[in-house]
Amino acid sequence: MDNQAILEVSHLSKAFGKNTVLKDIDFTVRPGDVTSIIGASGSGKSTLLRCINLLETPTGGDILYHGKSVVARGFNPSSYRAKVGMVFQSFNLFNNLTVLDNCMIGQIKVLKRNREEAREKALKYLDKVGMVPYMNAKPRQISGGQKQRAAIARALAMDPEILLFDEPTSALDPEMVGEVLSVMRDLANEGMTMLVVTHEMAFARDVSSDVVFMSDGVICEQGDPKEIFSNPKETKTREFLSRILG
Amino acid sequence: MFIDRLTQLGQDIAKLWSQYSASFLLGVRNTLILAVVATAIGCVIGFFCGVLQTIPYTKNDNIFKRFFLKLLRVVIRIYVEIFRGTPMILQAVFIFYALPYFSGNAIQFTNKWICAIVVVSINTGAYMAESFRGGIISIDPGQTEGAKAIGMTHFQTMNSIILPQALRNIMPQIGNNFIINVKDTSVMFIIGFTEFFAYHKMITGATFKYFPSAVIEMAGYLIMTIIASLLLRFVEKKLDGAGSYELVNADQLVMTAGTYNNPEKGSPYDEHSKEYPDLSERRGR
Ligand SMILES: Nc1ncnc2c1ncn2[C@@H]1O[C@H](COP(=O)(O)OP(=O)(O)OP(=O)(O)O)[C@@H](O)[C@H]1O
Ligand SMILES: [Mg+2]
Repeated sequence: MDNQAILEVSHLSKAFGKNTVLKDIDFTVRPGDVTSIIGASGSGKSTLLRCINLLETPTGGDILYHGKSVVARGFNPSSYRAKVGMVFQSFNLFNNLTVLDNCMIGQIKVLKRNREEAREKALKYLDKVGMVPYMNAKPRQISGGQKQRAAIARALAMDPEILLFDEPTSALDPEMVGEVLSVMRDLANEGMTMLVVTHEMAFARDVSSDVVFMSDGVICEQGDPKEIFSNPKETKTREFLSRILG
Repeated sequence: MFIDRLTQLGQDIAKLWSQYSASFLLGVRNTLILAVVATAIGCVIGFFCGVLQTIPYTKNDNIFKRFFLKLLRVVIRIYVEIFRGTPMILQAVFIFYALPYFSGNAIQFTNKWICAIVVVSINTGAYMAESFRGGIISIDPGQTEGAKAIGMTHFQTMNSIILPQALRNIMPQIGNNFIINVKDTSVMFIIGFTEFFAYHKMITGATFKYFPSAVIEMAGYLIMTIIASLLLRFVEKKLDGAGSYELVNADQLVMTAGTYNNPEKGSPYDEHSKEYPDLSERRGR
């Protein structure tokens, strides 16, 4: 066991019925790590993230959060999820609430902060992602890039220990990808611990501290991004990278 | 010829109205009260059925919780099928005569109002249970996941995220049910409840002016339902809120200093350095 680790995924597996989607997944996230998970479509990247914050129940193996199993009986998922933020491909902002309220509701309901404190926190992070001007807008009234930045602010407002991103820019028009990536880059530089599923290879290579390459539900290769991108050891990694990078 | 008949009709209606307007209006009043009260109670029943039916359970929950929730679903299912699947006129008879039958006439519905309200409420509740369930499950699962991901419980998610959206979506169905109730409460004559249509029967029994009275009845029902439609549209508009929003000037906000840890950073894509000069000024200092 790693005393430093925030998350330790060990021998994790997940099957939907007979269809095994994740097999024997092992990796560790330490404070300040920015880990990019890359891999072909259908390789199980989203499922892995969803298992980590218990949106899916793993069928085998273990996930340790500061050494405590999150899949054990009697574990309270709510307070754990509050500490593990998640940013979705489809934003999942609350449609009935304004951008500001989206960033406040979790603080008020889950962390039991009072309104003033929650508002101050929300504004701080909305400012960080450049969304203060739109704080009174409803999600349907803003663009995709703005939605994703608001969603990042919502996650940050919970003061998470680690942020999970599931292809945060995949649903965005090309001109909006940059604004979201730059927010993520800032977070990484400030020392936020992040686990990012992405198809943005430049981000994986230049920003992250670790890269995990997944293929058919297993981790095929993991390590230093420079190393993996310039000198991949596995054939599958090489094939994937040459396909993606052209 | 036709013109003659029309004038005749006009005279008949005028005469009926001058003689029986009080009765017609009393009928309207009774119909409206019954429809409003029963729709409201029906909504409450439907709300609870919908919410209770959609409480999730997984294999990991303890056996009592699972059993209880499953039982709840079955009971609600049976209720819905019975009261959606039989005519309301029969339900009225059934409930009206069930009490005296089983109690050997000891208990009876002495008050027609109570019986009518009970029957129409239970009937409406069965329909609304499905409306609420449909409204809840039709909300994008992403909303639930977004809420779960920040640690909200099922109850919190329901209360703050799902129900406000579901309620908005089923407003048209609440309206539908209300309008149906305005019309269908007419079957309550079977237990002797005198609503709008019952007065038609009483008045034509005395005057034999079937058609003129029917015209008044038609007009009366239409006026009630159209006003109800308009009111509902108005409420829906209110619920939708403003179609636009005001941009907030960041400088007007009293904020803690030192929000930006890296004032120098930013990329060409960095929206706030390009489009919001007021913000970029703050960043620079
Ligand atoms: N709820 C589910 N039920 C059954 N199978 C599922 C479910 N969710 C995912 N899968 C299957 O699991 C596999 C991995 O899916 P996953 O979404 O994790 O892939 P991914 O790597 O995120 O792909 P992408 O890059 O396209 O997002 C797929 O074959 C998918 O069909
Ligand atoms: Mg995916």
